[in-house]
Amino acid sequence: MSEPESDSISKGKDGLTIHTVSKDRLLEFMKDMKERGFNHLSLITGVDRRDYVEVVYHLHAMDRDEYVVVKTTTDNGVVPSMTSLWNSARWDEREQYDLMGIKFEGHENLKRIFLPENWVGHPLRKDYDLSNVQYINMDEDGEDYATFDQGDGW
Amino acid sequence: MSIFSRLTSLFSPMGYPISEVLAYVVESAMLAIVASVSLAVVIYLFRKYMARVQLRIGPNRVGKFGLLQVMADGLKLAGKESIFPRKRDDLPYRIAPLMILVGLVMAFAVIPYGSLFWIGTLTVSDTSVSVLLLFAIIAIMPIGEVLAGISSKNKYALLGAMRAIAKDVSFEIPMMISVLAIVMMASARTASSLSINSIVLTELVPYGILQPLGIFVFMISMVARASYTPFDMGESDSELVTGYSTEYSGLRFGMFYMGLFGSILLGSFVISLFYLGGFNGPMQSSLGFVWLVIKAMIMVFMAFTLWLSMPRIRIDKFVNLGWKYLLPIAMINLVLSGTLTLLMGW
Amino acid sequence: MNNFVELNFGPQHPSTHGVLRLRAKLDGEIVRELEPIIGYLHRNAEKLCELTFYADNLIFFDRMDYVASMLMESGYLEAAEKILNIPPPERVLWIRVIMNELSRIASHLVWAGAFGLDLGMLTPFFYCFAQRDYILDVFTEVCGSRQETNYMSVGGVYQDLTPEMIEHIDAFLQSFPKKLEEIYRLFVKNDIFISRNKGIGVLSKETAIDYGVTGPMLRASGVNYDVRKANPYLVYDKVDFDVPISQKGDNLARFLVRFEEMRQSVRIIKQAITKIPDGPFFNPKAKKSMMIRLRGDGEYYARTESPKGEFGVYIVGDGGVKPYRVRVRSPSFKNLSVLPVLAKDQMISDLISISGTIDLVFGEVDR
Repeated sequence: MSEPESDSISKGKDGLTIHTVSKDRLLEFMKDMKERGFNHLSLITGVDRRDYVEVVYHLHAMDRDEYVVVKTTTDNGVVPSMTSLWNSARWDEREQYDLMGIKFEGHENLKRIFLPENWVGHPLRKDYDLSNVQYINMDEDGEDYATFDQGDGW
Repeated sequence: MSIFSRLTSLFSPMGYPISEVLAYVVESAMLAIVASVSLAVVIYLFRKYMARVQLRIGPNRVGKFGLLQVMADGLKLAGKESIFPRKRDDLPYRIAPLMILVGLVMAFAVIPYGSLFWIGTLTVSDTSVSVLLLFAIIAIMPIGEVLAGISSKNKYALLGAMRAIAKDVSFEIPMMISVLAIVMMASARTASSLSINSIVLTELVPYGILQPLGIFVFMISMVARASYTPFDMGESDSELVTGYSTEYSGLRFGMFYMGLFGSILLGSFVISLFYLGGFNGPMQSSLGFVWLVIKAMIMVFMAFTLWLSMPRIRIDKFVNLGWKYLLPIAMINLVLSGTLTLLMGW
Repeated sequence: MNNFVELNFGPQHPSTHGVLRLRAKLDGEIVRELEPIIGYLHRNAEKLCELTFYADNLIFFDRMDYVASMLMESGYLEAAEKILNIPPPERVLWIRVIMNELSRIASHLVWAGAFGLDLGMLTPFFYCFAQRDYILDVFTEVCGSRQETNYMSVGGVYQDLTPEMIEHIDAFLQSFPKKLEEIYRLFVKNDIFISRNKGIGVLSKETAIDYGVTGPMLRASGVNYDVRKANPYLVYDKVDFDVPISQKGDNLARFLVRFEEMRQSVRIIKQAITKIPDGPFFNPKAKKSMMIRLRGDGEYYARTESPKGEFGVYIVGDGGVKPYRVRVRSPSFKNLSVLPVLAKDQMISDLISISGTIDLVFGEVDR
């Protein structure tokens, strides 16, 4: 099997190989990686670099204990979803969508996971306005919703 | 001479109808008071025993050794606001806890207690069909649970009630069959074999020794009836919050709580009467009640130990146990005791 | 079929170990669909970390897995010390191993007690917590705090382990194994306990890896993956211990693996308190320069073995005094995501016992 080709390879401070892949080729590249034994998608991280968003995947081959980092960047906050390859991406992508605002194309249930559905903004973005306090309240059916109105404390 | 006839003769100067009515009233009041005091004692014992088992100290603040803790808790419960679910079915919601408690006190009225020193017999009422009466009353109590579960219009309560029904139908038939074996054995020796008092009087060798299978089935049934931990699927606090009593608060919740401990006490009395020789023992005429209480207390502490050391069984496994094991065992017990009675004349 | 009963468990429910909310579709007693809803304890520790100095971030990690806070601290420091280039001295590594393993025992004891409660066993809870309290006494002695210890710091620990403290740890290790066996027998000698757990909630190897399940749950499914062995950090390569594995993958296997882990932890601590070298208990570099002036650069992913699984910390530094991005791989979060698969077509009682064996701590799931 031929090595999957990434755009560039470098080493991180932790000694892990970093593959940088453009987001158009990401899904194909990941498929190759999975075939090479990386059966465990350990972590998905979004890093807000202000003018673009970097998505970092930590892949792990459980059998030979090898860790590899795959990075991609996106300008418009849309990257392909990995749920078709690893089920562990389901919640990780929901979390990154919730907190970082990355939209994962092809995720069948891309809802917010921690915050209420109508929360304004994505907290981990660098331009998120922390001074604008939002309160969480509960409606008649027991569902949570976010509001800027402090209410009576309940 | 039962307490009732003593009371009637005490009030006899007032004339016939009044004396009888007064005797009924006084006797019921006495029964209610004695039942609630003994429940308080059982609850106190449970809490102290549970604390010992669990490396704790238990109640020790209210009164000497925490003796008044149960009373304080009762007062607290009585003073609490009762919160009613909005969509409840009002009448069944209100009478459900009462049914359990009233059924319990009624059950205490029909069992014989033996005699104590100069007081004589302590039996409240001794009818010739008290076995039937007792199990009829015991069969009322599950209706209270079901009513509570359905009328609170809560899904947890509904699930709890469903489990309670499934549980009750699976243990009650084996329980009745094992009691049938007792009645059959007693009928060889006494004419009134449906009276608990005369059954116990024939029980010079405890029926628990003659029918080891019977006592096994009956004890399991009594645990299920009282619904504490191995068989508390109806309440199961870690799964269904508290099952059918989820929506109850304040004094009504206290009634369920008392019903639980009362069922343990009642079950212990009934097991001691049917299987452990009841009030039989040395110096029966003056110490019968003491023997009965000692036997019942041993059963109560066995129940507590079981409660504190067992995890909860799953409802489908309990139904399995009831129909596939308890029922055949009870049947075998019936056949065996019938054979014994016929052949050996026991 | 839409005649299922929809039942809502939690967030305030006796057996959800905090604030888990489950929305279940029931067919009678059988769970047909399950959706966990989380976030009730969400504080966004990752954002808080971006706003705080490297050395101060420890307090957020203390409050993640609050029953094993020592492990969270050392997990963060694995990454932070590399980013800041402040390696701790040898003695500190050993102290951290001791504290990590004590914390692991405490965490597993809490789990065992709570799991007993899930099954309706009242008594083992108190036995477990009584033993855990001895560990918390040790923590109180070394750092003055029971749960959120904040004992470790960048490049060292808050104070040295004195010979008396080591003596107290040793005394605990003498009495604990016997008590552990007593607790163990309380569970496994009970037929109902076995029948409630054997063959229930079977998690296959492939599903476990696919969902990112790690820790005792993964090892109970037959995968030999323990970060302490696979990628030894601190001084785990210098101590001798076994990694318990089971091939069954059911509730009982997870239970047995966790109990065996406690025994192995005792073994590790016993070796550590004899092998611990003398020396400074902090890196002078960290002490001399003020902590808030520490600058970090580059990115580092450090994985450690927490009682729940692989605890990963990914720090991206931009040369400033605060991290640019901190990402936490919380094992409970991943382990919880497999619950809908495990609980499908199981009874409610089994749903509760399965969610009990996952060992959820919501400070960590929600962060």
